[in-house]
Amino acid sequence: MTKKTSIKLDYSKCHTGASTDPRECRKCLFVCDPAVFLMHPTLEKHPDPHNPEIWRVDAIWLSKCTGCMKCVEVCPEKAITVKPGDSLAIIRGF
Amino acid sequence: MCEWCFKHGDGGKWYNNARLYRNELADEYNAGEYLEEQWKNMETLFIRKIMGFNSIGLGYKMQMPIIGRLIRKVVEGQIHSEKENRNPVRADGHFGQVLPLEDAQHIMGNLAAEPIIKNYCVCRWMQRGVKDAVCINFGQLSEVIEKHTRYIPEGVKYRLDREEAIQALQEQNEKGYVASVWFQPVPYINAICSCESPECGGLRLRNDFNLKTVYKGEYLIDIDIDKCEGCKSCVRMCQFNALRYLPSVKRVIVDLDKCFGCGVCRHACKHDALNLVPRESIPGQAGKY
Ligand code: SF4
Ligand code: SF4
Ligand code: SF4
Ligand code: SF4
Ligand code: SF4
Repeated sequence: MTKKTSIKLDYSKCHTGASTDPRECRKCLFVCDPAVFLMHPTLEKHPDPHNPEIWRVDAIWLSKCTGCMKCVEVCPEKAITVKPGDSLAIIRGF
Repeated sequence: MCEWCFKHGDGGKWYNNARLYRNELADEYNAGEYLEEQWKNMETLFIRKIMGFNSIGLGYKMQMPIIGRLIRKVVEGQIHSEKENRNPVRADGHFGQVLPLEDAQHIMGNLAAEPIIKNYCVCRWMQRGVKDAVCINFGQLSEVIEKHTRYIPEGVKYRLDREEAIQALQEQNEKGYVASVWFQPVPYINAICSCESPECGGLRLRNDFNLKTVYKGEYLIDIDIDKCEGCKSCVRMCQFNALRYLPSVKRVIVDLDKCFGCGVCRHACKHDALNLVPRESIPGQAGKY
């Protein structure tokens, strides 16, 4: 059974309007070799489309995370928590 | 020649067909409207839900037999879509192919519609946090992107003439970026990217999840064994891990299954040992895009 990686970000610390705006910092994006993170304008659940003014970071490609913890170390806001699971190489399909 | 050539190539490669670059064709497919919606929303592509799934943890989802197969079918169907009601925020019909520098420069010199601009690569901005003005866009897409100032490079001339665009592609390719050409939406062609993995969204889906969002090129690399001096310089150029140095025989080998035919490795070879050959000329690779 594959153990999934879980990565959580604390948006009270990093968010447009919080003490750090991700568009200014960008450190987690820079250090992550597999580029797991995505910086994007917030997508409201409803209504769609998004709020173009408010940006945040999400961990998207969780299966590519190698558990190196560099993002956790580099984050000036201590906003990132990583619980490493299995990293998957290329998914070939069935 | 792939299925796109048969459908849209008018007898040749799809991206060499002048008709697919024209304004009239763009209008016929309402490309202006599509592009406006798509570029306004580009950075939200991977967090949007597609049939209830977004891309968060895509690898784990694709590992599940039934759901994985369904996601594959849906994603590939959307990227290849030629339906009328295509959804721009999901990038429906935004398909691309890797191509060598020569073919990309031929497009810029002869086929691309004006105006031509260079803008920040959106993939590198949203995935690596860097601003790198390497995307060459043209025709109706240029006018759309110009309206969204976050993509426009600061303090440089971003409208290019043909010669400048050809030169920009040269510099980017020599740096190691992979040229790719894009429908947006099929069959309107309006972008030549200079991509980097793993940030590039299209190559990400292809390389890490084997989704056919981007096709491999029409060519493959051929190593001239007699000329290779084993200097290893080419190995660091390949973004697809297709080249490897073998100490025992003091030369490099290529894994043709991994080679995308981008030709970028050639810039590193001082001994003329690397050349592109048509994919069709290698029976085991013909038709494998
Ligand atoms: S732990 Fe390492 S690989 Fe995983 S997200 Fe953080 S920086 Fe990236
Ligand atoms: S490193 Fe931390 S503060 Fe900086 S952008 Fe990433 S999550 Fe935000
Ligand atoms: S497709 Fe390539 S060049 Fe274009 S935006 Fe993405 S990485 Fe950048
Ligand atoms: S080996 Fe193939 S994929 Fe790698 S750089 Fe050369 S042409 Fe491109
Ligand atoms: S750069 Fe040329 S000579 Fe050097 S290892 Fe590669 S193919 Fe051989």
